[in-house]
Amino acid sequence: VNKRKILPTRAALTLTPSAVSKIRLLLQGKPEYIGLKVGVRTRGCNGLTYTLEYTKEKEKSDEEVLQEGVRVFIEKKAQLTLLGTEMDFVESKLSSEFVFNNPNIKGTCGCGESFNI
Amino acid sequence: SEQFRRLPQNLQPLQTAGLRRFSNASVQEKPGGSTPSEDNKIHLTESCVKRLSEIMAKGEYLRIHVEGGGCSGFQYKFSVDRNKNEDDRVFEDGGVGIVVDQDSLEFVKGATVDFSQELIRSTFQVLKNPQADHGCSCGSSFSVKL
Repeated sequence: VNKRKILPTRAALTLTPSAVSKIRLLLQGKPEYIGLKVGVRTRGCNGLTYTLEYTKEKEKSDEEVLQEGVRVFIEKKAQLTLLGTEMDFVESKLSSEFVFNNPNIKGTCGCGESFNI
Repeated sequence: SEQFRRLPQNLQPLQTAGLRRFSNASVQEKPGGSTPSEDNKIHLTESCVKRLSEIMAKGEYLRIHVEGGGCSGFQYKFSVDRNKNEDDRVFEDGGVGIVVDQDSLEFVKGATVDFSQELIRSTFQVLKNPQADHGCSCGSSFSVKL
């Protein structure tokens, strides 16, 4: 009989250092917002896409991720989808974007915006 | 013609044509924004000009290249280029320039290049492409009107 293993609880979402500093920069001078909110929406050729917006308050069902002083909230609908995802910020000369490295997804669209689970 | 019959009778012929053309859910532009297909130019939006003037050094151009790929058949590629080739067309506005090679231009002529800024991503985008039928929601891939 196997003993029940105790697993450490993982953060629902981890932020890379570049994501942390970008979010910090975005929230600077905007004291009315307490953080960013991540969600998913049905859209795109592969089913789902991520949404990101400023948020003024934590809703009851939101999952809160606090990392190095920045707060990101995960919408209830997105919590299962996003579990274990790494949120990164990638910047190049022509574009800059938040990228979600999600271990749960089965496939993505060519542009990387849309995905399915 | 079957598609015509299903439309409400009171529509003007012109509007009907517009509706059919934009009837795909994933169409990349709002109706009403189409330009005549005689248009051989690439248009730049104000935000595109502004962004290019911020990031481009002297002698650098934004190159638009169309290649096969993406979920809808073709996709746009953006790069920074210092060289102009023989078959390139240059479109200048406000001191900045976009270069498109002749082959790619066939697929994007009449379109508008925009720099879209959202919280989740900031990137260059091709909008209102008269050559594109419908595209992916991200706007980087499209299929061609036949």
